[in-house]
Amino acid sequence: MIARRSHIQRLRIAVAPIALGALGLSIFIGLWTSAALSLGKPVLLPSPWAVFQSYGDLIADGSLFKDIQASIKRVFIGFSTAALIAVPLALVLAYSRVLRGLVMPLIALIRPIPPIAWIPLAILWMGLGDPPSFFITAIAAFFPIFLNSFAGGTSLKEEHVNAARSLGAGPAALLATVMLPSALPMIATGLRIGLGQAWMAVVTAELIAAQSGLGYMIQISRLSLETSRVLVGMTVIGLLGALMIGLLGILERRVIVPWNHPAK
Amino acid sequence: MQSIAASDFRAGMPPKPIGAPRDVKASDTGSEVAARSVSAAPREVLTSTTTRLALDRVSVQFRGRPLPAVEDISLDVAAGEFVALLGPSGCGKSTLLNVFAGFVAPTKGEVRLEGERLRGPSAKCGVVFQKHSLFPWKTVLENVAFGPRRLGMPDPKGVARSLLETVGLADVANAWPSSLSGGMQQRVGIARALATRPPVLLMDEPFGALDAQTRALMQEELLSIWDKLKPTVVFVTHDIEEAIFLADRVVVMQALPGRIAREFDVPFARPRAPEIMDASEFIELRREITDIIRVEARKSFK
Repeated sequence: MIARRSHIQRLRIAVAPIALGALGLSIFIGLWTSAALSLGKPVLLPSPWAVFQSYGDLIADGSLFKDIQASIKRVFIGFSTAALIAVPLALVLAYSRVLRGLVMPLIALIRPIPPIAWIPLAILWMGLGDPPSFFITAIAAFFPIFLNSFAGGTSLKEEHVNAARSLGAGPAALLATVMLPSALPMIATGLRIGLGQAWMAVVTAELIAAQSGLGYMIQISRLSLETSRVLVGMTVIGLLGALMIGLLGILERRVIVPWNHPAK
Repeated sequence: MQSIAASDFRAGMPPKPIGAPRDVKASDTGSEVAARSVSAAPREVLTSTTTRLALDRVSVQFRGRPLPAVEDISLDVAAGEFVALLGPSGCGKSTLLNVFAGFVAPTKGEVRLEGERLRGPSAKCGVVFQKHSLFPWKTVLENVAFGPRRLGMPDPKGVARSLLETVGLADVANAWPSSLSGGMQQRVGIARALATRPPVLLMDEPFGALDAQTRALMQEELLSIWDKLKPTVVFVTHDIEEAIFLADRVVVMQALPGRIAREFDVPFARPRAPEIMDASEFIELRREITDIIRVEARKSFK
């Protein structure tokens, strides 16, 4: 058993990374400020304060939240679609040699095509707006989810299967109580990476194929030389991306695979 | 993939007897747990005349190997008997255990469990694996309750709790297996295998991955569990002292191809204490078996 840590020690362990992170961030903002001041060209590099003011403007006129909403909706739909297809497909392929042989070469050929290369086709098929963005985010999320889930499916241990069979588990029970939970840690990893990819892809898609969303906002602001707004878009993308992946990480530790993260 | 349906096994629980009429003991695993929860028939004195598990001229040939892993092995294990399969690595003793468990189908010959031909894993044979066989996604309690749940036994958690008590692990019931030491994990593995009250317990080098001290403690622990529940045990090991200390009969195997080299009856009375390892009979038996094993190990070493 692990010795109980005192409250002070525990507090120190919890606070130290936050303090260090805040310090690092402050240093970065300081460097940014001095660079912006010495450069003196807000179109090339606006100061953090100018970006902060643009935040105020964009929050006040409500456009920032509309853009955030549009992007999150696209990521959510694209990511969910990808997960709903990728996880079952990966597991089926992991357990069926014939299907694996049939489908895997195709996947190996499609996988190196970057999501951005799908955009022209997506626009031709679906025009501008939401559908091409759903499509691009789904493509981006699909491969990390699929490949990790497949690895999870093939990491099934013979001992676990044998143990379950000798304890009376039939095929259906094997699938639900052994194969699926064996694959879950890798599936969770795939979902986390896939969400990150989807979030990056939605911005890419919106730069080209949409008329709303954070990517679109960045693009429009660049054209009107409102660089501080470009930086608002970029920082919001960074913040929201980190937040979503952090939340998924908590979900993973608490709900999806708690056994891989036993409480200390 | 064949598996014996759960309903087949329910018949195996007390008080309804199964199998051939002579095989009355089949209904009684001699289990304390069984006695406690089902108020079963009075325990019968075990005589070692009934064959519980039999190999009849079994050979196993794996694809792509020049020699069969085991060849033409016949072996009868009596009800309530503790048999150790001993041999150098690569002699096919684990393969043989997998045949007993129904994980590997023999290429020739057949396996009979209580007189009936075995066609795949059966819940009548509890299996304890070498290591890492606990389900990491289930708590200790749920691991042990897995079998009872699958077989639709009443109160799986209660069964699991009382077995965890038997192996001295009641206080870690809600822990994840990964947080337990190797010795504790193997005790959970034993409890899980016993939870369905199987008449047969198959153990594949269960203490092989443990340090010497833990291993010695586990051997005594196993003997005390065996004294209480008296299952039929087939125990695979490469440790000569372990085999003699635990078993009624030591079956020494030879390698390439795997065959039975010799069998030894172990004369020591039960319950056994570790002190018997100092007895001259023990040392004599150990020497005799060591000589055979050495010759065999050298053969497969080349």
